[in-house]
Amino acid sequence: MKIVGRDETDEIQDESDAVSLCSLFAGSESFGIDTRKIREVLGKRELQRVPLAPAMIGGVVPYRGEVLTAVNFRVLLGMEEYAGVSCVLVLDDDEGGERFGLMVDEVGGVVTVSRRMLEANPSTLEARSKWLFDGAYKMQTGLMVQLDPQKLRPSRLMETGLFRPSTNGRDA
Amino acid sequence: MDDLTKEFIAESQEGLDRMERCLTELEARPDDDALVGEIFRAVHTIKGTTGFLGFDRLEKLAHAGEHLLGSLRDGRLTPTSELISGLLRLMDGLRAILTLIEETGSEGTRVGDEDSELIAELAALNGATPVSKVEAESVSLKKVGEDAASATAPAAASAASNGASEKTLRIDVDVLNRMMNLVGELVLTRNQMLQSGMEAANFPELARRLDSVTADLRETVMQARMQPMGNLFGKFPRMVRDLSRTCGREVRIEFSGQETGLDKSLLEAIKDPLTHAVRNAVDHGIEAPTDRVLAGKSAEGCVRLRAFHQSGSVVIEVTDDGAGISIERVLAKAVERNLVTAEQAAAMSEREALQLIFLPGFSTAAAVTTVSGRGVGMDVVRANVEKVGGSVEVESRMGLGTTLRMRVPLTLAIVPALVVRSGGQSFALPQSALVELVYVPRREAETAVERIGASELYRLRERLLPMVWLDKLLGLEGRGVKEVHGFYMVVMEAEGCRYGLVVDDLLAPEEIVVKPLSTALREIGLFSGATVLGNGTLALIMDVAATASRAGVKPVEETGEANAVEEKAQEADVPFLIFEDRARERTALPLGVVERIESVPVRKIEYAGGRPLLQYRGELLPLIDDGHVLSELEAGKPGEDVLATVLICSRAGAGGRDRADRTGIVVRKVLDVAAGAVLGKDEGVGEMELAIVKEKLTLVHRDFGAKAAAGWKEVA
Repeated sequence: MKIVGRDETDEIQDESDAVSLCSLFAGSESFGIDTRKIREVLGKRELQRVPLAPAMIGGVVPYRGEVLTAVNFRVLLGMEEYAGVSCVLVLDDDEGGERFGLMVDEVGGVVTVSRRMLEANPSTLEARSKWLFDGAYKMQTGLMVQLDPQKLRPSRLMETGLFRPSTNGRDA
Repeated sequence: MDDLTKEFIAESQEGLDRMERCLTELEARPDDDALVGEIFRAVHTIKGTTGFLGFDRLEKLAHAGEHLLGSLRDGRLTPTSELISGLLRLMDGLRAILTLIEETGSEGTRVGDEDSELIAELAALNGATPVSKVEAESVSLKKVGEDAASATAPAAASAASNGASEKTLRIDVDVLNRMMNLVGELVLTRNQMLQSGMEAANFPELARRLDSVTADLRETVMQARMQPMGNLFGKFPRMVRDLSRTCGREVRIEFSGQETGLDKSLLEAIKDPLTHAVRNAVDHGIEAPTDRVLAGKSAEGCVRLRAFHQSGSVVIEVTDDGAGISIERVLAKAVERNLVTAEQAAAMSEREALQLIFLPGFSTAAAVTTVSGRGVGMDVVRANVEKVGGSVEVESRMGLGTTLRMRVPLTLAIVPALVVRSGGQSFALPQSALVELVYVPRREAETAVERIGASELYRLRERLLPMVWLDKLLGLEGRGVKEVHGFYMVVMEAEGCRYGLVVDDLLAPEEIVVKPLSTALREIGLFSGATVLGNGTLALIMDVAATASRAGVKPVEETGEANAVEEKAQEADVPFLIFEDRARERTALPLGVVERIESVPVRKIEYAGGRPLLQYRGELLPLIDDGHVLSELEAGKPGEDVLATVLICSRAGAGGRDRADRTGIVVRKVLDVAAGAVLGKDEGVGEMELAIVKEKLTLVHRDFGAKAAAGWKEVA
């Protein structure tokens, strides 16, 4: 067993209850993705745009001999495009074998949270966000919304049709 | 399905492939015991292994076959045509069960009835009641051990035509070891590079080493992906045999170049076109035996499959010694189907007429047979081969036969491409679809574009070419830098569509490594992949045919008028290479006689008896220096390395390439290539003729001119 501080032991009672999340930011909100699903954080990257691609596809990025499709997270949330250079994370999908990139404003650090802190999506949440979000952790600084990389897969996003209407949002 | 079963299926498929080859060979050489032995072993192995895995149905059938083969091996039976047909049906039966196992995991029991019929047929062929089953089984069980061992012995890399084996590949252990070695070398080089850094003195050397290691590794991996053509050829003897029966022909098939390697994915891609071509050769090419005898040929026709490497691509030829393609019939059919008008048909050369068979909706089959004439014709063959960056051509001589030649690149993974810029982004265009590049300077840009309605056209050598603006097509207008220099047009051709793709700038031609895109991006349909360029940025690879259809370019079959006009133009106007040798005089040579233009250092030019000579590729080239360019050059900058421009001309004209007949002409400057008309001899200029080229008076070397004109007539 690890030796941990007293107040932390209160929060995280056993190992299986703990989840380590990588925090990321888009706009003023903060999100978290399970670190086991993240393959690599590429940092700030200029992406190669793909003409005629749906707006949620931010572009393509080379990664270890592959060309990955990167999803623009801000577009998914219906926000304005980020003015600066976005950070790119490489996410792995263990089921479909699809590897893809996720564009966010900033990547923070790794935080360990207890599963018990997770609250389900509020019923008032609009459909798109309900689909994207996987509940939220109550942190001291505020809420951290958990994301499920499975649902962020470009092909899955295309299938849902939830994000289709925004296709011409970018150029309009 | 467990690994054991998977392995069993892959092995059995290979065994059956071998059996198929041997069976058809056996028909040709009935006395060959080795062949019978081979077939016996294939069936025996299947039977033995099935016993282990518990596939009763398969075992029963294999057993019946083994028994028949046993009699054949012991010489109690002779391989008649019926017997071989029976064995082929046995093979089909075995294959069907294997496929069933592969798909469902079990061999199925309900369809068992089919087998008993086949087993009875095999028994009837054997002419005796089968030996008691129990006895045979006990024998086979004893043999199982050794057979299983022999089956796992590494066979030559081979691809069976079925699912399980399509995904796996057998690789020579040597090749794999070499790969591992090279990867090790790569890692070592990387380590050294990381340690020494960019400024180190040995950095260039390391970079060179990295380059050679990568090249070696690439070659080795490609080699591992290569499959011998023989794998593909293997299935044809059976097909030809069945076909020749249904069509009532006597056909023998011959192969050469089975060992020619081709990328596995390409091998799959050309399977169908090649099958179609062979089918055509048997059904349409080879005549009925009686007709052949009447024509003074042997009753048995021959289809030859030949594969060989030629300048970076693999050429596969399907040749038959049949009747050949009747040009009259082709033309009549084309007119009947409204593919060309009667006038166009009358003006066509033999070569052009042959190209008509590649038009959609063309078939000369007099009657629709089960084999061919169902509307799926040569156009599909061409489309399939072009899809993988290849080309198809046909040659035919009446009464002597037809040759269909397919040319495919060695691999699809690495393709030569031209990188262009449009709308501030880089795009790669595959060289295979590229016809030519046109630069339209700014001052001509307004007048060069002609319009019909909303569509824009460019007049390229008196032919209208639809223009497609890449940035507009991709919705990137205004994103790129405002062009100040005019624009570039890349003339592309794919699947019969020819169009000019307008781009902002041309970057370097590069060998690009094709990376697939995710499904979300493939759905756009315009890009066939992406690649990382030399400078580290990404470029999307354009799908040339999809771009054409997105832009609304329809396939134009340029067989009729356009070519006829061009041909007439060729007769009147010969293209000339215009240069300056004497000061202020324009001199020209027919383009056909100029082989190369070389820049030669003046000091390399030697003199003998006052005549300048040049040692050029192992021969002594006399130089013509009418304008005294050489002395001028030598006097101009003594001591420096001055380059002289030499045109390497072949006196034999466009027709022949006789080595001994080459001459070099020293010129001041090469000016242009243009078409012009020869005016005739002028007394004042002696050995020369006058011509009007680009509306300017130009002298033409008569010697070359006359011969070249003759050459042109020959070509036309």
